[in-house]
Amino acid sequence: MPRYLQNLELPISSEQPQILHIDLNSCFATVEQQARPLLRGRPVAVTNRLTKNACVVAASYEAKALGVKVGMGYADAKILAPDLIMVETDPPKYHYVYKKLIKIMRSYSPTIGMKSIDEGIIDFHGTRQNVNQRPLTVIGHEIKRRLRDEVGSWMKCNVGIAPNRFLAKTAAGLHKPDGLDVITRHNLRQTLSGMKLTDLTGIAERNQARLNAAGIHTPLQFLDAPAATLSRQVFHSVCGDDWYRRLRGWEVDDTEHDTKTVGRQFVMDEWQPSEETLLSRLSHLSETTAMKLRHRGLAARGVYIYLMYANGDVWYERRLFKMPVYTGSDVYRRMMLLFNNRPRYDWVRMMSVSCYKLEAAHTNQISLLDEVNKEAWLSEAVDTINSLYGEFTVTYASSLAAKGLIKQKIPFGTTRYFELLCNRA
Amino acid sequence: MDQAEIINKDVNIVAFYFKNTARRLRCFPKCMEYDGKRIKFTETGLVHPTKKGQRMIHVFDMTDGTADYRLEFDAADLSWKLIAITDTQYASISPKFRTAHQF
Repeated sequence: MPRYLQNLELPISSEQPQILHIDLNSCFATVEQQARPLLRGRPVAVTNRLTKNACVVAASYEAKALGVKVGMGYADAKILAPDLIMVETDPPKYHYVYKKLIKIMRSYSPTIGMKSIDEGIIDFHGTRQNVNQRPLTVIGHEIKRRLRDEVGSWMKCNVGIAPNRFLAKTAAGLHKPDGLDVITRHNLRQTLSGMKLTDLTGIAERNQARLNAAGIHTPLQFLDAPAATLSRQVFHSVCGDDWYRRLRGWEVDDTEHDTKTVGRQFVMDEWQPSEETLLSRLSHLSETTAMKLRHRGLAARGVYIYLMYANGDVWYERRLFKMPVYTGSDVYRRMMLLFNNRPRYDWVRMMSVSCYKLEAAHTNQISLLDEVNKEAWLSEAVDTINSLYGEFTVTYASSLAAKGLIKQKIPFGTTRYFELLCNRA
Repeated sequence: MDQAEIINKDVNIVAFYFKNTARRLRCFPKCMEYDGKRIKFTETGLVHPTKKGQRMIHVFDMTDGTADYRLEFDAADLSWKLIAITDTQYASISPKFRTAHQF
């Protein structure tokens, strides 16, 4: 019988809170305000490209107070906040703050995890008896102070303390900015009673609709719902059980996920891109995808390409090969095989390439075929030169036209390629 | 839109100040000679390292109270470079977000 069909009954976890969640809210905007004192107290938005069609990737608290939200276009944001100052992302700055945050977190426990660039978790299990005997609230305040001392006086963070990761994140979002909240079994119901379903991380419109269809309209009703209702009626899977445990303070989110795909995408810089333009962009995207693969020590057997046309139509194709590849030219060659099959009835607006079926790249294994070895050694030599003098010092002639145009931007969520991104700056 | 004027020129840092931060004595620029003028920095924003290939570059974001300056210190040849000046006329700060030192 599948796990989600078994009847599960658990009390609210009575464990003392041992998880501390740190969230640097409005991280990029706050770091920019820290770096440039003249921006402090002013509405600031950070964008990946300083153009008229730019999109806000982070807004300062001052901008948020005026209604500016992440994902908003520059023109809309400017209507809401006429004094808005747009600045372009600067990855090395965020990388520095990210490293500092990790260093601070590591000084309290060996078990830490970064959920994204600006969110981290300290797991205090096993450290409380000998190392961290002080209350976690005291440690939380100390982390806030250390962040201000070691990075800058403008830096603020929210701290949430709870028995599991989910509730710790929820606690960190209760009083922004610069809050510190604790959720225990004693105040769990009270905390949830003041929230909406969509305030819970992981519950957006669709999950809300699913819950509403089962008569669940508030987080408290969600907490009181039996596991069987959640798994059989609402989520129709083991996810229902996970939610049942999560809301009761039992840990279900301490899992690490392997990399499944590696890729890049680019919105065309021209309205009517020629064949030559498309090929140069494809070459550059393939080259940087291969760089990401090599950075992680991976090779890929499958390639996938996705195009969006001006009329909104999409086309995609994938293919699995026998031999794994990791060099730029090999990835480009395989992408070209798919790209040549594309329909040509409209202008391409967006292009996305990715590799899947990843496995460890056995770069030490010399091939019996001389041309394969030459390709691998050439790629290795180019990587060595680029690591000495900066990325794209040596690059493919086919991607030269796209070199300055396609920039690797700040990744949301994952921090796997941060080092690679900063080396390219 | 933020308007940064890219300079990218070597400059002389004629005065420094030292600060004991995070159990280390660190050095920061205090006064810079550029374009025949002496610019005295009033506040340090963020100091962070970055790499240009294998070369370690220390980036200093400084302000003199009227403009922001981005300076780079090359640890290999000990040279200072002024990268950009941002001298936008910003609107005044809303009283709601004004901090004690901005009054």
